[in-house]
Amino acid sequence: EDALLPAPQNISILSTNMKHFLTWSPVIIQGETVRYSVQFQGEYEREYANESWIPISECSLITGTVCNITEDISATVAYNLRVRADVGPRRSEWGTLKGLFNRVTTSLTPPLMKVIADGYHLLVELEDMGPAFQFRVLYWKKAQERRVQQKVVKEVRSVVHLDTMEAGAEYCVRAQTHVEAINRSSSFSQTQCVRAQGDKSMWL
Amino acid sequence: TAGNRIFHFGACRVSMSMTEIRAGFTAIKANIQARDPIRTLSILSYPHSLHKVKSSDRCCITHHLFNFYVDRVFKHCKTEDSYVNRKISSIANSFLSVRRKLRQCNEHNQCMCGQESTEKFKQILANYEGLNVTSAAMKSLGELDILLDWME
Repeated sequence: EDALLPAPQNISILSTNMKHFLTWSPVIIQGETVRYSVQFQGEYEREYANESWIPISECSLITGTVCNITEDISATVAYNLRVRADVGPRRSEWGTLKGLFNRVTTSLTPPLMKVIADGYHLLVELEDMGPAFQFRVLYWKKAQERRVQQKVVKEVRSVVHLDTMEAGAEYCVRAQTHVEAINRSSSFSQTQCVRAQGDKSMWL
Repeated sequence: TAGNRIFHFGACRVSMSMTEIRAGFTAIKANIQARDPIRTLSILSYPHSLHKVKSSDRCCITHHLFNFYVDRVFKHCKTEDSYVNRKISSIANSFLSVRRKLRQCNEHNQCMCGQESTEKFKQILANYEGLNVTSAAMKSLGELDILLDWME
């Protein structure tokens, strides 16, 4: 009788900036192609739908060992996830994620940003990280760290105008992301400074 | 942000991923509404629209409706279509998350129920119980945008 196919092991989640991926170790069967299928179960399914599981069609009978579960982890509740292997007619038991996953634990990285001095205008370009993200941008005139100003950017446009600068003065900017759905923020980006055109001494 | 909205019901403040819920519903709306043969009846809007509910009763009726969808509607909406089931799961889990916040408001007496919201909800249940459970659940799910529009 065929040996039972081992269940996938080392099942874990990689979650960064609200993008969530399920990964596992490959099941090695010499000379065979092993395929995997993934299912999820939200808190609703556990509490109100007889602990039912829902297949992710994009990750049904796949040969890879990574599944993008972002679209299905779309509520701030605890999710259960499981994977099983298939080789021809042989099928493994389910391997289940140790512990539940809640997107509130996603790791948030500081935003990529580019600060631009466009003549006397202080501009910042922010990375588009998706509709769940807003940005908190802090900016100040160098040497006046106690007069920091803030702008909250709720929807990313390509360039955000922060301020009109004094001629020749240097301005600094840093930013962090905020995700309202999980009520958390990233750490701040590196500070970037730029100098406005013109030279104050020229006009004295 | 396009992602999240803070809803204020008097002292009760509820943050809700409206975009995610709407995206999930929009993706399956046509499919769900096609399963509802009885177009002449409404669960949420008969005889009066939700818009007639007094603002002081908004929190209570919203709490009632989220309980209604979580406890009675979603579980009877399983389909043969895996994609539709995934979207229903997405909406159901989002509703569960919001209901928890509404329940906290209720526990802090920030979500008082007046006569009007109690009557309105009784009417909704009567409409629901007037149909067989699967038809009623599918019709209620198909009317989700009525609730979301009213909330917004």
